[in-house]
Amino acid sequence: MNKLFQYVPGNSLIHRLNPVTKIALTVVICAAAFITDHLLFLVCLLAIDLLIGLIAGVAGRTWSIFRGLVKIAAFLFLLQVLLTRAGNPIFWIITDHGLLTAGKVVLRLIVVCMPLTLVLAVTRISDLTNAMVQVLHVPYPYAFTVSTAIRFIPQFLEEMSGIMEAQTARGVAFDQAKGFKKFSMILPLCAPLLISSVRRTDQMAVAAEARGFHLRTRASAYKQYGFSTGDLLTAVFCILLLAAAILL
Amino acid sequence: MIAIQDLTFTYKNGKTPALQDICLSVPSGGFLGIIGPAGAGKTTLLRAITGVIPHHYTGDFYGSVHVNGMDTVDTSLDRLSGITGMVFQDVESQIIFPTVEDEILYGLENFGVPREEIPLRISEALHKVGIPDLLERSIASLSGGQRQKVAIASILALKPQVLVLDEPTGELDPGSSRQIFTILKELNEEGVTIVLVEQKIMLLCEFAKDLAVLDGGHVVLQGETRKVLTQVEKLQSVGVNCPRVTTLSHLLTERIGRQQPVCVNLDEAERMVRGLMK
Repeated sequence: MNKLFQYVPGNSLIHRLNPVTKIALTVVICAAAFITDHLLFLVCLLAIDLLIGLIAGVAGRTWSIFRGLVKIAAFLFLLQVLLTRAGNPIFWIITDHGLLTAGKVVLRLIVVCMPLTLVLAVTRISDLTNAMVQVLHVPYPYAFTVSTAIRFIPQFLEEMSGIMEAQTARGVAFDQAKGFKKFSMILPLCAPLLISSVRRTDQMAVAAEARGFHLRTRASAYKQYGFSTGDLLTAVFCILLLAAAILL
Repeated sequence: MIAIQDLTFTYKNGKTPALQDICLSVPSGGFLGIIGPAGAGKTTLLRAITGVIPHHYTGDFYGSVHVNGMDTVDTSLDRLSGITGMVFQDVESQIIFPTVEDEILYGLENFGVPREEIPLRISEALHKVGIPDLLERSIASLSGGQRQKVAIASILALKPQVLVLDEPTGELDPGSSRQIFTILKELNEEGVTIVLVEQKIMLLCEFAKDLAVLDGGHVVLQGETRKVLTQVEKLQSVGVNCPRVTTLSHLLTERIGRQQPVCVNLDEAERMVRGLMK
């Protein structure tokens, strides 16, 4: 879980794309998943997701994200199938309509979640921030806030396990509890987690301010984010994908 | 370079002043070491020098702090931070970015360092603290000591005129601590004014030109390092241990009844003892 949002260094075709192109591709895949109503098209989109992971050389990460999502999806699928009352019954209380809707819902979930996490695996957060500021003219404080929030997720988890360790050392048996009991043991940890996070955020603000946060302009970033042939091809692909989603 | 006059500061929601009637001055090219027990106001004093107080941490601020002739209350933090670089005590919260390169780039980009100069500045800073091979690494993969060096490098890259450090060797082994102090000495010789809080008294005595001892928000002792070190009883009363060699020379003075020179390092102690044995 800790590594889920971490950047995987590499020099693949996907890595070298402009961060903005990667975001555009992500958005287009998400949009296509919601526009289309064909199960087969959703399967194609899933294949595209997996293919992107493969081209980017992060097959391992892609697979672990996929596996994690499948677990959630299985639960959702079951719920959806059992609760849908429309359509012709096939077996017990399960209907053909239920199966189809449930299939689409979970496929959409997987298709939408995968590129979002994959983008973070193949793009440095700082590149993401800088490109958004430079190319999309997003004001730096906003871009900084978003990127810091993403970066905070693993730190949050790290801090959480730190607090749990501290409690374990004083006799709280986290490892022996399961399910709801474990959850109810973890819940009270939110207070120290919140306090330490607020303190950390405040200090980070000082650190940022003390190194000229407010002086930063759109032109400040050292790296330049240009567009290459790869970006152009990706853009064409995006348009085609979107058109297919609308027309099919 | 730094002039503090009658500074009294109470944090917002604080009951007692964290600093009281502080008068201190550090000349351009000075090297001031600050020492004192926990809760003495050391970090608060550094914050006041960098302008983080009163710009970020607000509260009741009396007196004045001037850095390079600028009043820290009237000057924006951006302008002040162009002159003063600060290394925090808690390195974890100082590092904002997930990779070493980004962390060092950040300040350089913000202060508008010319693009062609940036690679040189980065490699210089990393070489100075002895971690040129860590440029591409992610912060998460570094040890505490390495992170501390990255934090220091990110400030060195900005070439500040005043360098303020809050226990910069807190996470470092003795070898690396000495290395950091040696770097600071070099910078100091190049004209950078240095103010630092440090608990490793031995290093402080050896490298700092002046010492200030803080206790309960007051400066109880200040002056040239050797002069401060002659006040062994006073130092011990506020809980500051003198280096062993200094204690030795002090004890000898006391027991023999003959004034001995204050020793701050082993060589001097050796010389003193040899002199006595003759």
